[in-house]
Amino acid sequence: MNELTLPLRNLAGQPIRTFLTTLGIAVAIAGYVALTGLTQGVQQNFAGGIGDQGGDLMVSERNSFSIISSSVPEELGPSLKAVPGVADVSGTLINIASADNNANIVISGWPDGSFLWQGVKLASGRLPQPSDEWPVVLGSTIANGLQKKVGDTVELQFQDFTVVGIADFDSVLNQNIALVPLKKLQGLLGREDSVTLFQVRLDRPLDPQKVAVAKEDLQKAAPGNQVSDSEEFGNSIRFFSLIRAIASTVSLVVMAMAALAIANTLLMAVTERTFEIGILASLGWRPVRILRLILVEGLIMSVVGGIIGLGLGILAMDVVSKAGVAAGLMEPYLTSGIIVEAILAALLAGPIGALYPAWRATRLVPAEALRRT
Amino acid sequence: MGPLIELVHVRREFDGGRIVAVADVSLSVEHGESVAIIGPSGSGKSTVLNLLCGLDQPSGGEVRFEGKAVHGPRAWAEVRADHIGFVFQNFCLIPTLTAKENVEVAMLGRIAGAAKRAERAVSLLTSLGLGERLHLKPMKLSGGERQRVAIARALANEPRLIVADEPTGALDRKSAHAIMDILTGLQRDTRTALVIVTHDREVADTCGRKIEMVDGRIVNGPATGIVHAVAGGAR
Ligand SMILES: Nc1ncnc2c1ncn2[C@@H]1O[C@H](COP(=O)(O)OP(=O)(O)OP(=O)(O)O)[C@@H](O)[C@H]1O
Ligand SMILES: [Mg+2]
Repeated sequence: MNELTLPLRNLAGQPIRTFLTTLGIAVAIAGYVALTGLTQGVQQNFAGGIGDQGGDLMVSERNSFSIISSSVPEELGPSLKAVPGVADVSGTLINIASADNNANIVISGWPDGSFLWQGVKLASGRLPQPSDEWPVVLGSTIANGLQKKVGDTVELQFQDFTVVGIADFDSVLNQNIALVPLKKLQGLLGREDSVTLFQVRLDRPLDPQKVAVAKEDLQKAAPGNQVSDSEEFGNSIRFFSLIRAIASTVSLVVMAMAALAIANTLLMAVTERTFEIGILASLGWRPVRILRLILVEGLIMSVVGGIIGLGLGILAMDVVSKAGVAAGLMEPYLTSGIIVEAILAALLAGPIGALYPAWRATRLVPAEALRRT
Repeated sequence: MGPLIELVHVRREFDGGRIVAVADVSLSVEHGESVAIIGPSGSGKSTVLNLLCGLDQPSGGEVRFEGKAVHGPRAWAEVRADHIGFVFQNFCLIPTLTAKENVEVAMLGRIAGAAKRAERAVSLLTSLGLGERLHLKPMKLSGGERQRVAIARALANEPRLIVADEPTGALDRKSAHAIMDILTGLQRDTRTALVIVTHDREVADTCGRKIEMVDGRIVNGPATGIVHAVAGGAR
């Protein structure tokens, strides 16, 4: 027998109660992991996907609420291109729509001859030509999902487009993207002369010093707008901060509920086991030792619940990110930070929930406790 | 050597003074002696026993262990863990633990090393005739067997004092005799002091000193064990 024998026996003595409490913690941790992972995933997906398109810096509307609400005048292009160290710029118009009234799809409009088109790795077909009427290049994942091949028609933004090419990208966003000529998308959205952002490509080779200087000069050339790399861009979008805040709040509430579940379970256990705790006290177990016994019981439930919850959370992220509404917009995003936070949360919830019951246990007068038979 | 344990004008009230379980008791127990506390039901015997080992705190007066006054649950826990063993009428075993584990639990934090604790538990239980019952939980044991597990547990930390509250109260005559033989044998052979509360004249007669309580006071019997103390002190 060792220090863990008694807490484990106690938990095993009430298997259903222990199971339900542990499950409660698992669900809380799963909720935390999935919510945090998915919300960070949405941001990561957009920022990473936009960074993956070939630009080094982005010029977008300062503090825009969401990606698609950013608006920059198209006429800004030439003055950005004139900035020293800038190799090329390309306006980009972005919108989220449904494809064939079914899957979510990100539509991106690029100007004819933009350097962005050169970064597209075609799996089949070709790039749009000026003579095409409504051409579209689809990311390979969405093409698969919609079962489209070159020559097929897809309805985007209430307009039938003809698939001229299918492209492979590294990021989930771009795998689910529809690339169309900028002018066509501007027309469909009624946003002539406006783009969402400018992708800026700098002269090679890149070095941090030069990037910093170019960034400053671009900022001067585009007053009122913001110049950022893809990560800063993701962080600046207030919509992302908002969903992150919502996710944190929900996670916090759920974790508090888990701690309460533990408190409730252990309070019941301490009340039931008054006699036993009296025995331990009569054997000379010091109050801290009795406190520790109850805390360890809480800790065991929360650690086991935490591990199960981590697994459940990853599973849930995977399921949600593949489900219709979210597919293409979210990707599961699991960082070591999220895992560490989830485990910490579980490690804290147990003992915090156990604290009051444990304290109650130490307050028992042994003689009183032993009278209860 | 002074007395092992002393109660000095100890009083214990309940319900804010409405119940006086122990009115005024002074009593000392010497190293190695055996004392029986007898008296009618409700006379305060169990309460005195609880005060004697800090399971309960007095409303007045003080309790000294080896000459030093002991105050508060933490200090008493230390004294009990190192020096006092218990045997109760209702055995007080932990139902989720086996016989062996019930003995080991008293040694946790006192004797380092799980193997050492296990070895000691097995040897104690075996010496009490429970070598075949080590891995059974209390529910599977007879009353006499349970009480022997409790005695093994009481002995685990080599106490200087064993307190027993009606240790034979829940047992048939034969088991009761066996338990008393073990307890008095221990007191005789290892010079462990024994304080035993009992209704049973025969049990009381096996002890070196008899104290009778009525209405929370000692009415009969020497409150100190002088004679024994001299013998004990000479050792
Ligand atoms: N925790 C308590 N709260 C209230 N009254 C108590 C408490 N403990 C003991 N008493 C009262 O104190 C008195 C003495 O009780 P105690 O248990 O010491 O008697 P006893 O001599 O051991 O009796 P018995 O032989 O029946 O075991 C009784 O009247 C009892 O009801
Ligand atoms: Mg009694």
